Amino acid sequence: MDSFKVVLEGPAPWGFRLQGGKDFNVPLSISRLTPGGKAAQAGVVVGDWVLSIDGENAGSLTHIEAQNKIRACGERLRLGLSRAQPAQSKPQKVGSGRAPGGGR
Amino acid sequence: MLLLEVISGERLAKPERGKMRVHKISNVNKALDFIASKGVKLVSIGAEEIVDGNVKMTLGMIWTIILRFAIQDISVEETSAKEGLLLWCQRKTAPYKNVNIQNFHISWKDGLGFCALIHRHRPELIDYGKLRKDDPLTNLNTAFDVAEKYLDIPKMLDAEDIVGTARPDEKAIMTYVSSFYHAFSGAQKAETAANRICKVLAVNQENEQLMEDYEKLASDLLEWIRRTIPWLENRVAENTMHAMQQKLEDFRDYRRLHKPPKVQEKCQLEINFNTLQTKLRLSNRPAFMPSEGRMVSDINNAWGCLEQAEKGYEEWLLNEIRRLERLDHLAEKFRQKASIHEAWTDGKEAMLRQKDYETATLSEIKALLKKHEAFESDLAAHQDRVEQIAAIAQELNELDYYDSPSVNARCQKICDQWDNLGALTQKRREALERTEKLLETIDQLYLEYAKRAAPFNNWMEGAMEDLQDTFIVHTIEEIQGLSTAHEQFKATLPDADKERLAILGIHNEVSKIVQTYHVNMAGSNPYTIITPQEINGKWDHVRQLVPRRDQALTEEHARQQHNERLRKQFGAQANVIGPWIQTKMEEIGRISIEMHGTLEDQLSHLRQYEKSIVNYKPKIDQLEGDHQLIQEALIFDNKHTNYTMEHIRVGWEQLLTTIARTINEVENQILTRDAKGISQEQMNEFRASFNHFDRKKTGMMDTDDFRACLISMGYNMGEAEFARIMSIVDPNRLGVVTFQAFIDFMSRETADTDTADQVMASFKILAGDKNYITVEELRRELPPDQAEYCIARMAPYTGPDAVPGALDYMSFSTALYGESDL
Repeated sequence: MDSFKVVLEGPAPWGFRLQGGKDFNVPLSISRLTPGGKAAQAGVVVGDWVLSIDGENAGSLTHIEAQNKIRACGERLRLGLSRAQPAQSKPQKVGSGRAPGGGR
Repeated sequence: MLLLEVISGERLAKPERGKMRVHKISNVNKALDFIASKGVKLVSIGAEEIVDGNVKMTLGMIWTIILRFAIQDISVEETSAKEGLLLWCQRKTAPYKNVNIQNFHISWKDGLGFCALIHRHRPELIDYGKLRKDDPLTNLNTAFDVAEKYLDIPKMLDAEDIVGTARPDEKAIMTYVSSFYHAFSGAQKAETAANRICKVLAVNQENEQLMEDYEKLASDLLEWIRRTIPWLENRVAENTMHAMQQKLEDFRDYRRLHKPPKVQEKCQLEINFNTLQTKLRLSNRPAFMPSEGRMVSDINNAWGCLEQAEKGYEEWLLNEIRRLERLDHLAEKFRQKASIHEAWTDGKEAMLRQKDYETATLSEIKALLKKHEAFESDLAAHQDRVEQIAAIAQELNELDYYDSPSVNARCQKICDQWDNLGALTQKRREALERTEKLLETIDQLYLEYAKRAAPFNNWMEGAMEDLQDTFIVHTIEEIQGLSTAHEQFKATLPDADKERLAILGIHNEVSKIVQTYHVNMAGSNPYTIITPQEINGKWDHVRQLVPRRDQALTEEHARQQHNERLRKQFGAQANVIGPWIQTKMEEIGRISIEMHGTLEDQLSHLRQYEKSIVNYKPKIDQLEGDHQLIQEALIFDNKHTNYTMEHIRVGWEQLLTTIARTINEVENQILTRDAKGISQEQMNEFRASFNHFDRKKTGMMDTDDFRACLISMGYNMGEAEFARIMSIVDPNRLGVVTFQAFIDFMSRETADTDTADQVMASFKILAGDKNYITVEELRRELPPDQAEYCIARMAPYTGPDAVPGALDYMSFSTALYGESDL
């Protein structure tokens, strides 16, 4: 599991669909991406887990709480994400912002 | 010649008548010859000188003549002329204190000499008392006058001349004085005669005196010899060296101090005798004959004896001294050795008489024996010394030591004591050995006792432990095992008792010995602290414990049997209930996956099962009851059944859960079918798929199964898409897909519309086609609590067309489904 951060420049929409929450007993994750959207451009991928929103731990947030929190970040959205890595790929630099080429 | 004739009173040869020189010389020669014939030496006087008128010679010759004839005759007691004259003057003037005639010059200067001479012979002529020494002139003149007047002595001297001259002429005075002599010699004659008689008488007297002296001396000497000889012959030895040395000292004194004078005396005696004899002979007297026993020969004999006695004496003294020296040395040696020995023996007797062994322990006795051994060697070593002492005593005796008795007494004492010591040593040795033996025996017994008492004690303690041992047994076999062991133990008791008696026997033996031999047992058994009382105490205790144990075992046995019954009971029940539950589970499982019949049929079938299960509960309760009993009885295992209560419980709960879940599943399926409009055939198809891919027939698919399933249904997806699907289908990440989830997924995928969109669309209608909704609208359209629910949770709408109080229903809707587009 590899964690990294992305910083999306505002304003909304950020171009992703958030799924899960404490009330659903499912960790928050990215379930859809708008192609070419800000999130997609920043290297976010479907299936990425959301660890933190604006520096705050997202593990205890309900869906609505997470939603509101994201909405509250007007100009800039900072997300802490994590992704399950396939065995052979190199470790990513934290906050590089650059997505590795489609999963090696 | 004339002079000579006158002066000598003899006639000479006829002189030569003639005046010629030759006649003169011849006369002078005759005179000289005459002089010479009188025995006068004339030195270098020749007739020629006289004839020629050599004054000096002539005067000299005249003086010589005078000297020879006037003076020479003078003989006073055979002395020479001059000396005789002097002597005569001295004699005569002897009574006159102020007159001292020493010579013929100065002595006469004061004139008193002359006066004295005169007065001596003719006292009436001079009043001597009136004369004064300091008036020499008067004295001299008086003397000269009187001499001339009454004595016919011409004045040859001149008073002034004498006084005036420092040293008057000796010859002149001599001549003058000689005149006096001649004058008085007449008177002298009588005196001389008287003198001669006196002399003779004196000689006689002298001789007699000598004889007397001789006699006396001889007597004394003989007396002395007589006294001394016994002293010298006394060979009684003194006892001490000191005394003998004193004797030696005395002898030395005798030799050095006493005898020499006596030698002298003897010599003197001899001399006296000889002199006497000679004198007697010379004076024509008969020889002296000493009285009886005082003869010279007697004296010589006596002296000889003396010397004889002397000779042996010194030798004897020295021998004696040597002997005494040796004796003293020996005696001292004896004393020393005796003292040393006595010092050594001092206290030994007391030590040997000690009864210290009566209260000693074995090791102490052994130590005492060793000490005694050492003492015995010491004693043996001293044997030598005692013998030496005795030898010295013997030698002293042989040498006749004066103090032999006391020496002997001491020696005897020492020897007696020695014998005594020997005897005592022997006795002590015997006593020590005897005591040692006794103590050793006792010690052996003690050891024996200890060696046996310790293990026995151990055994008893072990037995006590075992007998009181609390046992935890869980089976009848175990308790039976214990019982058997106990019986075996009981079988050993008689032998144990025998051992006990044997051990006690040993102790009694010790007591007996102690009593019989009056051994002082200060200490107890050094090898062990286990007393017979202790042994007996423990033995009694063991005896008591045995029946108690019997009882305990019996009770336990009963308990175990009871337990066994319980077990059996439980086992029987469990063996029924367990399989029943199992069967029911299987049946329910089968039902849930079967496909023929409607869901309702399944449901009703399941409900029947549910009912039967509920009806079965009492049995479970009963089992629980039995189980409780078992637990209370601390039964931990049960070989009558493989089912534990926990198994049953779990199984039961599982059964309950399963039936409920299965019913719920079916109900849900019904709901789903109704909600999604899935037909029975579709449902069956889903079911068939699911069952097909549920290879393990668990009612759930794992991820691979699911993937395979999707592929088989025509879903072609990549890894990401699959992961998304998985996250939806298995949100809890359990790794399995339930049938319900499967159906949900399937129905969702085949459904037309997005449920979140439906809700959103519904809200849009309520909001009057706006992108936001207001609080009033919510309150108006929805039931109050749901409206509040929405109001509380909806976020404010922040779109460009927002108004105050606008709420974002879109994100709320998506959030309801756990999905928001941001």
